[in-house]
Amino acid sequence: MRFVSFRLASSVLATTALLLIAAAPSQAQTRAETLRYVTGASVNTLDPNIPGSTRESFALSMSTYDRLVAFGRKQLNGKWVFDLDTITGELAESYDVSPDGLKITFRLRKDAKFQDGSPVTAEDVKWSLDRCVTAPILGKAQLLTGSLTSADQFKVIDPLTIEVTLPKPDKLALPNLATVYPMIINSKVAKEHATADDPWATAWLKEHTAGSGAYAVESFKPGEQVIIKRNESWNRGSANKPAFFKRVIVQSVPEPATRANLVERGDADLVLDLQASDVQSLEAKGKLKVISTPQYNAVTYVSMNNQIPPFDNVNVRRAIASALPYEDMFKAALFGRGAPLFGATWPDGKPANGIYPFQQPVKMDLDKAREYLKAAGLPEGFSTTFSFNVGQAATAEPMAALVKESLGKIGIKVDIQKLPDAQMSTQINEKKLPFFTEGIVAWLPSTDYFYRNFYTGNQRWNYSSINNPDLAAIAQEARFEPDKAKYEEAGRKLNAMHFDLMPQIMLWQPNQDAVMAPSIEGYTYEFHRQVDYRDVSRK
Amino acid sequence: MVRTGLGATMVRAGRRLLSSLPALFGVLVFTFLLMRVLPGDPAVFFASGPNAGKEEIEQIRRQMGLDKSVPEQLVFYLSDIGHGNLGRSMMTGQPVLKDLRERLPASLELTFTALLIALIAAVPLGVIAALRPGSIIDHGVRLFCALGVCVPTFVSGLLLIYVFYYLFGLAPDPTGRIDVFTSLPPQRTGFLSIDFLLAGDFEGWWAACRQLILPAVSMALFVIAPLARITRASMLVSLGSDFVRTARSVGLSWRKVVVTYALRNAILPVITIAGIVFSTMLGANVLVEKVFSWPGVASYALDALLSSDYAPVQGFVLLMASLFVLVNLVVDICYGIADPRVSIE
Repeated sequence: MRFVSFRLASSVLATTALLLIAAAPSQAQTRAETLRYVTGASVNTLDPNIPGSTRESFALSMSTYDRLVAFGRKQLNGKWVFDLDTITGELAESYDVSPDGLKITFRLRKDAKFQDGSPVTAEDVKWSLDRCVTAPILGKAQLLTGSLTSADQFKVIDPLTIEVTLPKPDKLALPNLATVYPMIINSKVAKEHATADDPWATAWLKEHTAGSGAYAVESFKPGEQVIIKRNESWNRGSANKPAFFKRVIVQSVPEPATRANLVERGDADLVLDLQASDVQSLEAKGKLKVISTPQYNAVTYVSMNNQIPPFDNVNVRRAIASALPYEDMFKAALFGRGAPLFGATWPDGKPANGIYPFQQPVKMDLDKAREYLKAAGLPEGFSTTFSFNVGQAATAEPMAALVKESLGKIGIKVDIQKLPDAQMSTQINEKKLPFFTEGIVAWLPSTDYFYRNFYTGNQRWNYSSINNPDLAAIAQEARFEPDKAKYEEAGRKLNAMHFDLMPQIMLWQPNQDAVMAPSIEGYTYEFHRQVDYRDVSRK
Repeated sequence: MVRTGLGATMVRAGRRLLSSLPALFGVLVFTFLLMRVLPGDPAVFFASGPNAGKEEIEQIRRQMGLDKSVPEQLVFYLSDIGHGNLGRSMMTGQPVLKDLRERLPASLELTFTALLIALIAAVPLGVIAALRPGSIIDHGVRLFCALGVCVPTFVSGLLLIYVFYYLFGLAPDPTGRIDVFTSLPPQRTGFLSIDFLLAGDFEGWWAACRQLILPAVSMALFVIAPLARITRASMLVSLGSDFVRTARSVGLSWRKVVVTYALRNAILPVITIAGIVFSTMLGANVLVEKVFSWPGVASYALDALLSSDYAPVQGFVLLMASLFVLVNLVVDICYGIADPRVSIE
């Protein structure tokens, strides 16, 4: 009897297993070939050049369009990150820079085709680059940083060769062509949809794509999801084959706890924007792969407006820099997930190198802070506000409380101000905030670029509103400095000035925590801080 | 008799509709001005690319029409509304009308389902509580209602997700109206549960319903309390009245007394409250929409508000005001049906 029931049970089991095996492959295969990426943000345009486009839109365009060149990748502390110094061809088969550095010649791949099957020609490249520097779009301001400002600089030599002329040898010209904006558009298709008011088809390209990229858009629901499918004939990847995933679903899930649940249950494959506490617990459980990369092209600051009293006094700024509880802030805000930019030791009192961002020798020392306040003529302290935006509340709120507590000890009374994002950016732009925390990111992180964009001029990104002609002059000169040793020297000088003037306090570079299913491979930290879907594959 | 009653209701409804137009206009102008008075410049916010400078900000300002004076902007806005154009959202890059048209059915479907669940639960609860006032059952209902109101919707939502999705895996992943791998039915009404039925796709219909259950329940939990309480109060009045005593004394069945006479007379205030609850839910379900990634109008408006995206917020307020007017109309008509005396006045 027992024997029979055993046989019965096992045969039932076997049949079920057989059925499962028979039914499973078709479905399992499509799921395995699909990447489901969830994010708190959303794609709002298919053309990243449109003012107001989101970071997710940038990432999407990397897959739907090709550029002339692309960044390589390198390993940094065992993690893959983009490499600014290696520029490889994407649509360009090869490129030459003339000895005087004023001419770059690109030869296009002969086999490159747009998604509608027509070949990619130098005419398309010229039209796309012209659009980038002429049309009222975001690419204009970006390419300006690489001395690319006018359509006259792009010349078609023959159908597969294009030449870019520069007014000065600018080392950022080539990297700029690998950024998000100068994507190569199918000019024949785009021109069909251009109008007299809109000669560069910006309205049409916002909702449609006409590129040669690794993926084509299958469905686009702004604010909800985008589904892209593989372009089988794309061969611009490393091994001359199309991208790995057949389909990629980019889905907006606003609630971070839900995103954590989805990836933990295996329903989502990859997520970048989880709360630090969730990342920590997921990492501790050990079921998922967590790749944490310090965002080495981003910095979080505590900023002071150098034009508003009392922060116009350098000793007040030094007092603040000596009174912040760095370690506690780092733990409370980021759970220690990032690279600290405080607590360095400079034995000879000079910066260790000319790279920005760098670790400053600042640490909490309340006695020193009191001395600085006395030197500033404010021994009794003063009152001020400390602002942060709602979007950053998760990290900025605990940080602000610690700032308030610590500064209170040296007599500085701080009122914490939590501002809606739009209001915060407006006030920063109008230079009205005395004391606040904000972050920056640079796509092309070189020392002179940081100092030129974030420490000069009366513009939004100069958070500290510093106006130091010497600093501006050194940074400007370094931009076109071809000699590596001299460039390094200029960088050291700038860094020393930064520490001396203390216009704002660098806190840390937060980690980008990519949490993914264990089967996902190839994740690389990219300059736009999103996933490049072409990088990843499933084992 | 019935026809004249219905006719009178319609006339009353029409008059109501006309008299609500000035209010709608007021809402329109008020929201418009309010958005402009609020601190925060949308142009600066949206020009936040890594290299966006003054030029980009000016350009967005022109694009949004913010370079003109406020009265001029208002005139342009009103003339646009007159042409059925609600403007363009910077956030999604789409015309606001298109966004709202796509998102409103999602919100309506969720709210209707939640209201239905709430009514099905609340009316019997209220009736039972009224039949035995002061009993254990009455206290039980009170406790349940208090709990429902105390727990904010996002907490109950997250709790439901944790139990039914994360722990037991019974519910599908809480990401929107339909599983990403399911193909959508041809759009007819925008209500997925109806569209799937019309397309004869029962598997899809079931998938859509499964997605709908958790968010609808977490919303319903929150509004059961007012509905149950008002049912109880009005049932108590109704049960204590002369006609119920008479009905009981002539020996009518329990069912006839409670359901036909008492409940029908007690239902009027419940309809009023249900109308108000419905309008409130539609706007206030933003937390549920966020937690369940539900692509509805409320979360859309909240995102727009945070980024000072004027057009969607104005469009949303206009939509809500119009819906409120409509819901009141429907409530009026329901009155007429529930109690023909109302339409005679």
